[in-house]
Amino acid sequence: MNDMSLTREEREAKLEGMGCKRKRVEDIRFTQGKGNYVDDVKLPGMLHGDFVRSPHAHARVKSINSEKALKVPGVLAVITAETLKTVNLAWMPTLAGDVQMVLADGKVLFQNQEVAFVVATDRYAADDGVAAVEVEYEPLPVLVDPFKALDPDAPLLREDIKDKKDGAHGPRKHHNHIFEWTVGDRELTDAAFNKADVTIKEMISYHRTHPSPLETCQCVCSFDKVKSELTIWGTFQAPHVIRTVVSLIAKLPEQKIHVIAPDIGGGFGNKVGAYPGYICAAVASIVTGKPVKWVEDRIENLTATSFARDYHMTTEIAATKEGKVTGLRVHVLADHGAFDACADPSKWPAGFFNIVTGSYDFPVAYLAVDGIYTNKAPGGVAYRCSFRVTEAAYCIERAMDILAQKLDMDPAELRLKNFVKPEQFPYHSALGWEYDSGDYHTAMRKAMESVKYAELRQEQAAKREAFKRGETREIMGIGVSFFTEIVGAGPSKNCDILGIAMFDSCEIRLHPTGAGIARMGTKSQGQGHETTWAQIIATEIGIPADNIMVEEGNTDTAPYGLGTYGSRSTPVAGAAIAMAARKIKAKAQMIAAYKLEVHEDDLEWDIDGFRVKGLPEKFLGMKDISWIAYNSPPPGMEPGLEAVSYYDPPNMTYPFGAYICVMDIDVDTGVYKVRRFYALDDCGTRINPMIIEGQVHGGLTEAFAIAMGQEIHYDETGNVTTGSFMDFFVPTAVETPKWETDYTVTPSPHHPIGAKGVGESPNVGGVPCFSNAVNDAFSFLGSTHIQMPHDYWRNWKAARELGAVG
Amino acid sequence: MDMNGQERIAAPIGAVWAALNDPQVLKNCIPGCEALEKQSDTEMTAKVVLRIGPIKASFEGQVTLANLNPPHSYSIQGEGKGGIAGFAKGGADVSLVEDGPAATVLSYTVKADVGGKIAQLGGRLIDSTARKLAGQFFANLGTCLNDQSVGA
Repeated sequence: MNDMSLTREEREAKLEGMGCKRKRVEDIRFTQGKGNYVDDVKLPGMLHGDFVRSPHAHARVKSINSEKALKVPGVLAVITAETLKTVNLAWMPTLAGDVQMVLADGKVLFQNQEVAFVVATDRYAADDGVAAVEVEYEPLPVLVDPFKALDPDAPLLREDIKDKKDGAHGPRKHHNHIFEWTVGDRELTDAAFNKADVTIKEMISYHRTHPSPLETCQCVCSFDKVKSELTIWGTFQAPHVIRTVVSLIAKLPEQKIHVIAPDIGGGFGNKVGAYPGYICAAVASIVTGKPVKWVEDRIENLTATSFARDYHMTTEIAATKEGKVTGLRVHVLADHGAFDACADPSKWPAGFFNIVTGSYDFPVAYLAVDGIYTNKAPGGVAYRCSFRVTEAAYCIERAMDILAQKLDMDPAELRLKNFVKPEQFPYHSALGWEYDSGDYHTAMRKAMESVKYAELRQEQAAKREAFKRGETREIMGIGVSFFTEIVGAGPSKNCDILGIAMFDSCEIRLHPTGAGIARMGTKSQGQGHETTWAQIIATEIGIPADNIMVEEGNTDTAPYGLGTYGSRSTPVAGAAIAMAARKIKAKAQMIAAYKLEVHEDDLEWDIDGFRVKGLPEKFLGMKDISWIAYNSPPPGMEPGLEAVSYYDPPNMTYPFGAYICVMDIDVDTGVYKVRRFYALDDCGTRINPMIIEGQVHGGLTEAFAIAMGQEIHYDETGNVTTGSFMDFFVPTAVETPKWETDYTVTPSPHHPIGAKGVGESPNVGGVPCFSNAVNDAFSFLGSTHIQMPHDYWRNWKAARELGAVG
Repeated sequence: MDMNGQERIAAPIGAVWAALNDPQVLKNCIPGCEALEKQSDTEMTAKVVLRIGPIKASFEGQVTLANLNPPHSYSIQGEGKGGIAGFAKGGADVSLVEDGPAATVLSYTVKADVGGKIAQLGGRLIDSTARKLAGQFFANLGTCLNDQSVGA
């Protein structure tokens, strides 16, 4: 029997369930340097691989000579496209329905493209071997500017598909065109614009950047020739998908492939895709019969595996003169680089960009996206956001500010006027989504009151006057953003990856002593799943979180799941956990009814066990039920206490939030200071407030990086000029502003515990908030839109162009 | 990357022209040049060690002279490969104008491209490095001609 000397509060506290600021259990090993990452995998006889990469952005490969490389001591093999052709692996399918060269086959299409894979006894020898491989290139005209990709005389990039009129997502209009994707009602939208009092139009670019996790992409592949089994340890956000893809590509039976994702040092979308390094390491292991390790260096990570964004969004809003929006029209030029390797659900070539109507009640909208090829690295991953949701949020949040400026209205007031109202949920957006729940007005007002918004605007007005009088050289910007995300991909009716429906899963097994293990199809990369998943179980079935071990990442033991990205873990796997726990609870209730000699309906759940209604002393705790389940179950009931749930969500979830930033910019130097940043998030039910706060801090820091300087930049000849942390901005504690966090709670009506996901919200809401603050600062000098990133140099340039610098 | 500049050299135009066509003089004046061999009147092979920021690489390649208009102007074109460090290619239009019998004004416009790791890592250093190298070259040339004139 449970210890009845404890109060209800004490019993509840002991569980450390949902709502508890439970400390992260994984941090015990992480903070002591005891994590186990891919690079910690060291196998006997293990070899190392490294790539020869192209210095050219576009060139024909005339010859590859490995003779000198093979003479370098320690070098065992040099794998080229010709080698891979013998096993039909010179090209691989991408998640977006395109194909991608594993190693350069006749030409290279972006700088640092993989040309040959050198295998050696250690990493140093492999590097020496790489330096000794002689490759002869014939440079070709380079295409960097996406706006020139569809010119009639633009260089032909993809010779392999030059005659292909249809791509994976419909007809192609040009040899550098990938797809056109349209949503919404064009005629009705055009009509709304024709009769609008006010319209705005702006080309809003979201520049190319990179998730840049501290741990780069890497793997160890080990092929057992005797058993014909391939084991891959890798930095995989979606281990099961990798196993299925490897099985399909390598034609190995799925049970003969073991994919293990150990601890991962950050993913942010970078570790969703399959990269040439994985294929080459696997082939090298099959060829040599030894384990082969491949570890990317920093330059390789930034320049070759999976960029993010690169969306150029021509945005128009129609509105009444009172500021009620009546129509939205967006055209996106989407730069996908050399191959379409976007990691979106297969039917969504532009992800969920059609969330671009944001938090506003647009009666009509029309969206067209053109995907194009350029001589840049492939990728297009969802860097700390659901698929293309940060692009959409940036687009609409910037455009709303531009509209406010044109109407001479306060941007917060314009938002309040156009929000979807609480009584409109579930809300059907003009571009096809069903928003599950929200209370936008409450969140926006709470944010405005918290920062004393009206006073800030007064201060800004006074500062502007002082600036005009020449009394200060500093301008003040107030950034407002209100975002609605769409996360939790996703319902099988509209989401799959290569035909695999995007469900997720959980398997819970309780042991006889009332402890247990839970295994999931998700994979933490730092999100703290080992902590939060146990908290859901603790609340659901009354077993202390400390007694639940959470395990993820091994495809042999974990139930099939689609992995962790796009804020899908809590909305999808979190639901599976609750559902599996409820199956266990249902069996526990049968056991309790039998033991307490009452009907099941006469029992009520009470924190950590079942109690007979009206008889408080008749109680059976879960710890005891676990023992009974194994050792003396009711007659006819099979022993044991475990359950599995595969959860196909009925809808996405729609977290939202209101962010406000206050910034001062010195016009003579462009130096900005973030005076204040306030972030209110509504992620529905809050499982662990401490982890949520940590997630928000991390997401805001990445948003700050992206908005204020982080960029993958190409010069006109296709050189990446931001290929290291010297030039690629990753904020440290020195640059990072102080964050103020807040929340409202609007539970998701369709999710078993009402949770919506939060890890990516701050990136989605943060980027427009920073950019709006910069733009707001400059707006009184006559600008409507300044492109990101807003680094010191660009701020100074903007000030100079607006005549603010003498 | 584009650069242009002017140097006044205290030597007659004929001597400057001769120096600009003399592989030995060029070898001595090009910073980091380890070898420069004449293949024909207008073609040479060169080996130059370049250091840009964290990257040090040895470039080997061809140098070609074109648009020869003695003793007033020529174009010099070069292309070098630096292995995994990348590549560099570029050219300069050089013209000479007499500034009295004992001095010459040399004007140059340079257009150069670099690619590969040197461009990725040295990006922010390339322009300043190139300016420094060009400055060094003409300073060396001036010194060299002064030495010659002193010797004569």
